[in-house]
Amino acid sequence: MKIIVNGKEAGTKETGCAICGSDWGSYYAKVDGEELFFCCDICAKEFSNMIQEVKNRTNWNKIDEVNIRGNWSMGRHVMARSGVQRYYFYITFDEDGNIRTFKPE
Amino acid sequence: MPICPVCEITYDSWDQVSDHMLKFVEKSEAKHVMWLNHNISIKSLNQKELSEKLEEFFSLNESLAMWIRRRFIERFYGTEPHPFMVAMQNPTKGVLLGYVLEHQHFLRNWVRILSTIIYRSEYDDVVRYELENMTTEFLGFEGKPSHYELLIRMGESLGLKRAEILSTPPLPATLSAIKTWKNIAETKGWVETMAAMHSLELVSDRSLIKDGATIPYFSPKILESNEYPDAVKNFLREGYEADLYHAGEALRLVEKYAKNPEIIQVIVLKSFDAFAKYLLSRLERGMMLDPLVKA
Ligand SMILES: [Zn+2]
Repeated sequence: MKIIVNGKEAGTKETGCAICGSDWGSYYAKVDGEELFFCCDICAKEFSNMIQEVKNRTNWNKIDEVNIRGNWSMGRHVMARSGVQRYYFYITFDEDGNIRTFKPE
Repeated sequence: MPICPVCEITYDSWDQVSDHMLKFVEKSEAKHVMWLNHNISIKSLNQKELSEKLEEFFSLNESLAMWIRRRFIERFYGTEPHPFMVAMQNPTKGVLLGYVLEHQHFLRNWVRILSTIIYRSEYDDVVRYELENMTTEFLGFEGKPSHYELLIRMGESLGLKRAEILSTPPLPATLSAIKTWKNIAETKGWVETMAAMHSLELVSDRSLIKDGATIPYFSPKILESNEYPDAVKNFLREGYEADLYHAGEALRLVEKYAKNPEIIQVIVLKSFDAFAKYLLSRLERGMMLDPLVKA
């Protein structure tokens, strides 16, 4: 999965957390069959919940790319892509990493 | 005293705070990692770099009140201002209704928290200040309606019934923010509580612009515009005029009675975090009512 966070590639210790871009910490989690780097467990939970929600809403079985713009305090605008299909949405999370707002854009 | 901004444990040096925080970072502990992400940088630093950054971050170059102002501007009115303020430059009906439905809960909680400051402070200037603030916010003064009443009238002018407004429960993010402020009032001292609450009034302080805020709380053009009902303008004008004095005077009192600035700094940041989420909640409510509302 190709992951872009605020314009930069992310998802490994070198490139940064798959959802916030930070390279503090070292938490790994398997999402969509791929081992990804996160700065903490909350970020990992947010990312997995987001991917699951996109799959539920689109019926895609694989996501090839996510492009995330924003942060914890602004919320995040996201483009998800599977093959040639694209899906745009706005998302925020609660303190435990659960989805709070999800709005297709 | 050097302090861990998450655990609130004090140390003898920023080096020790840096060691402590990095120990938690090694374990990817979410609270410490997030604090660093939100306040210092998303790029990791080594022990020495972090120690220096922490010291710099907490140093009071001018005064505690000024430190709070500068952090507020950075967080809410920086190069990327909070989306609620962006929406308020040209608010749709949905944005304003989101404001009404969530803010009524904020204001009701507001006076309850201020009452704990009155209960616990032995200083008359503090008690008088808080009573006056509570009066203008909740009761009304010299025949003028309270801020709370003006808010409800704004909602009515946009088509909601008073009973509807009052019976709408807060969204989860509003409730969670309120819980944070209640928790501060219940577990911290009254000076910290005062700082946590009144620093939020900076939101509509017009003089932030001269200290570097990129946009005002709302476009002042609204106050002259025919596009908005009078009740909307009356509510906005009230905050526009009152909070300039409110936040400044409260922070002066905080400065006067603060014994330990670092703990106040840490609590203020926690309050800012809650406020950022609460402001998003107003937009979230707006989105539920009006598909045109965007974050
Ligand atoms: Zn992260």
